[in-house]
Amino acid sequence: MDPYEIEFIGENRIISIIPNFTYDKIYLICGEFGPFRAGLPMNVPLWLALMLKQKQKCRIVPPDWMDMDALENIKEEEKRSRFFTKMPNEHYMVEAKLILGAASEDVPNASEIKTVIKDIWDIRMSKLRTSMDALMKSGGGYGRLDHLTMMEINSVKPLLPAAMDSLLRIQMKSKKTTPANLNVSSFSQSGGSSQNI
Amino acid sequence: MEFSNYLSITDILVTNERIPCKFLHDLPKMGFLDPSAADDDLKAGTNAEIPIWLAESLYTRRPPLVNVELPKTYKDSYREILNADACTVDLHKLGQHFYELGCYVAKHDIKGEVGSTLINTLRQRFRMLLSASVATDSISAMQPLSASERLQAAAAARTERNLASWLQRGDCPLTTANMVANHRKRKRAEMEMF
Repeated sequence: MDPYEIEFIGENRIISIIPNFTYDKIYLICGEFGPFRAGLPMNVPLWLALMLKQKQKCRIVPPDWMDMDALENIKEEEKRSRFFTKMPNEHYMVEAKLILGAASEDVPNASEIKTVIKDIWDIRMSKLRTSMDALMKSGGGYGRLDHLTMMEINSVKPLLPAAMDSLLRIQMKSKKTTPANLNVSSFSQSGGSSQNI
Repeated sequence: MEFSNYLSITDILVTNERIPCKFLHDLPKMGFLDPSAADDDLKAGTNAEIPIWLAESLYTRRPPLVNVELPKTYKDSYREILNADACTVDLHKLGQHFYELGCYVAKHDIKGEVGSTLINTLRQRFRMLLSASVATDSISAMQPLSASERLQAAAAARTERNLASWLQRGDCPLTTANMVANHRKRKRAEMEMF
């Protein structure tokens, strides 16, 4: 999948805005939003918020998790833990990139927050790569994808499934034809030792 | 790694690979299979290299006409190298379709060690695929990979590039989705046919 397609999916998340105009309810495929009252916070999909922001019709209320202290905590936790920690948001990278890109003046400490989120992303990506390698080396038959976001899963997509696929094919082929001598790792055995990836 | 498929080009290429065989019976008029033979007839006990597709069908006959032996790249000495450190081996030179050929050879290995060597090799060399997908000097990183590994590494590199461009780009330019573009072409192709 293309990252832009994931961005498109992530754009459907609801976020808070403060409009500076008054308008009736609007009816969209994804639901009804409004009525818009100038100065009163309300919830709209991210894509609509960005569109209004670009037309300077609203101010974006940064999501709760987009806060320096909270993000620093997440970063520390992510560094400490061997496994992936739960992210505050399934599309944290998409949301951060879009909001900080279009409305950085609405977010306090925008540039620091940008750096912290990038740090978290880098830590998670390097963890993902090392655990992928460990998974293949250790002979695990499957990996757990707990707390990985869609963008991160997508980044390993053609490589890891293809490698697991060819592994399975070789195992099936050499097992089927030589039933007498079982190989070192039969499939049920290797399934037991899972890696957290 | 798409193999064992009737229409797969890789599979056709792999089954055309020659492997050493020992003939167990006299075969009249088959002397041409052994280029060094002077006779028209093939004697029992001759060693010759024949394509896998032929060897397979001769082997599965009852009684089998040939005994299939391991090609040298799957023998003990090479297996030891691969088991020690598979990443140092240039699989592209050793045999472009190393895994695919190995699957065919594995069933003729009496000790059943070829299969585990293949799996071991694949597991160890996964690190090479990972580094090839992010390497800046992609040509030298791709060089020692076998044909199927190259395909996988190229696909991974493409994802990596897309992700990097997404992270760098400030805004998203609107372009036609791949699916839509292909769809329209298919329609035109259909219209031209009728």
